[in-house]
Amino acid sequence: MNDDRWTPGEAELTNELRAMYAAPTDESYWESLEARILAHVGRGGDVQGWWSAMTDLARPALAAAAILIFVAGAAVMHSRQLEASEAYTSVISASPPSIETAARTASAGDGDAVIDYIMSH
Amino acid sequence: MPAPVDGVASERAIVIAAQRGSDDAFSALVRIHQRRAYSVVRAIVLSHEDAEDAVQEGFLHAHRALDRFRPDQPFGAWLYRIMANAALDLVRRRKVRDADELPDNIPIPFRDPAESGELRERLQEALTHLTDRQRSVIVLHDVEGFTHGEIGRTLGIPEGTARSDLHHARATLRKLLLNIRSSS
Repeated sequence: MNDDRWTPGEAELTNELRAMYAAPTDESYWESLEARILAHVGRGGDVQGWWSAMTDLARPALAAAAILIFVAGAAVMHSRQLEASEAYTSVISASPPSIETAARTASAGDGDAVIDYIMSH
Repeated sequence: MPAPVDGVASERAIVIAAQRGSDDAFSALVRIHQRRAYSVVRAIVLSHEDAEDAVQEGFLHAHRALDRFRPDQPFGAWLYRIMANAALDLVRRRKVRDADELPDNIPIPFRDPAESGELRERLQEALTHLTDRQRSVIVLHDVEGFTHGEIGRTLGIPEGTARSDLHHARATLRKLLLNIRSSS
């Protein structure tokens, strides 16, 4: 037995294969197919319904949604970090009262200042 | 309308005309190659109807890619490779679709209601046990008379792989059809 060729006794298999896969022989069939091919090429492929268009758009839409979610998440994170940073900065940057102000507060009140002014004149 | 094609040179002229946008030239190419294109895709898909769809898609792809074809190359080999890819793509899409359907709807090879021979029925059933590529290879070789090299170029596989696929396809069919052949 030869695995690369059918034996003469197996020729019937080849005949059956040829019968099963035989192309149509009617000339009108080929004229019709040619017309359908040219029409298909002319319209640039199958005319698709809106559901097909939606199916085609599903993958890019999902990708766009994923990108939007990622960007939104990053924005929220950034906003929170900014708020925390500002709060921290405001706490550590709150400066104590100046020495002049503190001295003035610690000295005599406004009434004493008037008396000092009169006495000096 | 282009003259009938007598040789490579005239076909090359038609291809060049089609590349320059001549619809008549492209129609001529369809007329010249549609039978062979049908045979190539029919070896790959499971039904006559799918073969028609694949041929139409194949010519659409060829039309879109025509400007990238180099006229010094054999047009037929280029076209049949596109056809084979269109057929393989259709088979893949059918599998995805059928995976979502009930098992009863799994397609079987095209059956002519008038066919009643036991050998044919057994052969059709046995072919479903081959891989898609093995089935394509044995049909292209035995039915269409392609050489191993032509099969390899058309299906995009090494020639040795085509030879190996043919070997295994025959071995599988022999095993599955042994009973009916020995009894006939």
